Amino acid sequence: MDDLEPMEELERDLRTAMRRQPAPPGLKRVVMERRWQARAGQRRRMVWFERLAASLVLAGVAGGAVLWRNIAERRQGEEAKQQVFIALRITNRALEQMRLQLQERDSH
Amino acid sequence: MAGDWQPDFEQLVDEHRSMVFSLAWRMTGDRGLAEEIAQDVFLELDRDLRKMESPLHACHWLRRVTMSRSADALRRRRVRSMDMWVEIDEQHGAAEERRSSPLGTRVEAMLATLPEAQRAALILRYQEDLTPDEIAATLDAPLATVKSQLQRGLKLLRAKAATQLKEYVRGA
Repeated sequence: MDDLEPMEELERDLRTAMRRQPAPPGLKRVVMERRWQARAGQRRRMVWFERLAASLVLAGVAGGAVLWRNIAERRQGEEAKQQVFIALRITNRALEQMRLQLQERDSH
Repeated sequence: MAGDWQPDFEQLVDEHRSMVFSLAWRMTGDRGLAEEIAQDVFLELDRDLRKMESPLHACHWLRRVTMSRSADALRRRRVRSMDMWVEIDEQHGAAEERRSSPLGTRVEAMLATLPEAQRAALILRYQEDLTPDEIAATLDAPLATVKSQLQRGLKLLRAKAATQLKEYVRGA
């Protein structure tokens, strides 16, 4: 007998044996449930992400305010220090002038 | 027009669940595992739903991802072909009897003993009725390789049939 014939018979049997099988009855329900759960989880993660982002923004704003206040206070301190130095320099100059005047008077 | 097509997830599940489940079952030989794979494939489809361009594209995508996930599952579980046959026989013997002829059942069981690549090519050829070109595109393999796998798979099946099934002995 020709070799082709049993091969064709085998192919025919393969086609018959390998028809698509019906999926388990609960497959669609489980898929839809898992899809819903995945989306709910995604929404929960999104809420947490939004909360985290809001917290980070708030922390950034608060930190910025504290930093800005520190810088402002330091600048005010620097200005006060400079003013004290200027006052001391003026006083020093005045005292020096007085000392020179007294010295000049004593020499006469 | 394909560009206007709006994918409907539920409808896609309805249309393709049988195909996805059958591909996964025949690839893994494990009904429970096939059901898990089918679920995962459809959830993956849901995540990629916006990328689907047409019903044909969705069908091709489902075939490709199912075959790929089944191969991944097989690699993970390292299912041996004879174990698969035993599992099919033990768990689903009754269902098998109802849905196909005893000869068909035995042919399918022999198919489960083939190497994975040959089995994949034969499943797509005879379950999905794909051409070798389409099989090559689905498995992302060269056409020559697919043709060779189909030929070798059929030869191996024929040899197994000749020794195991008296229906084929006359042609051996």
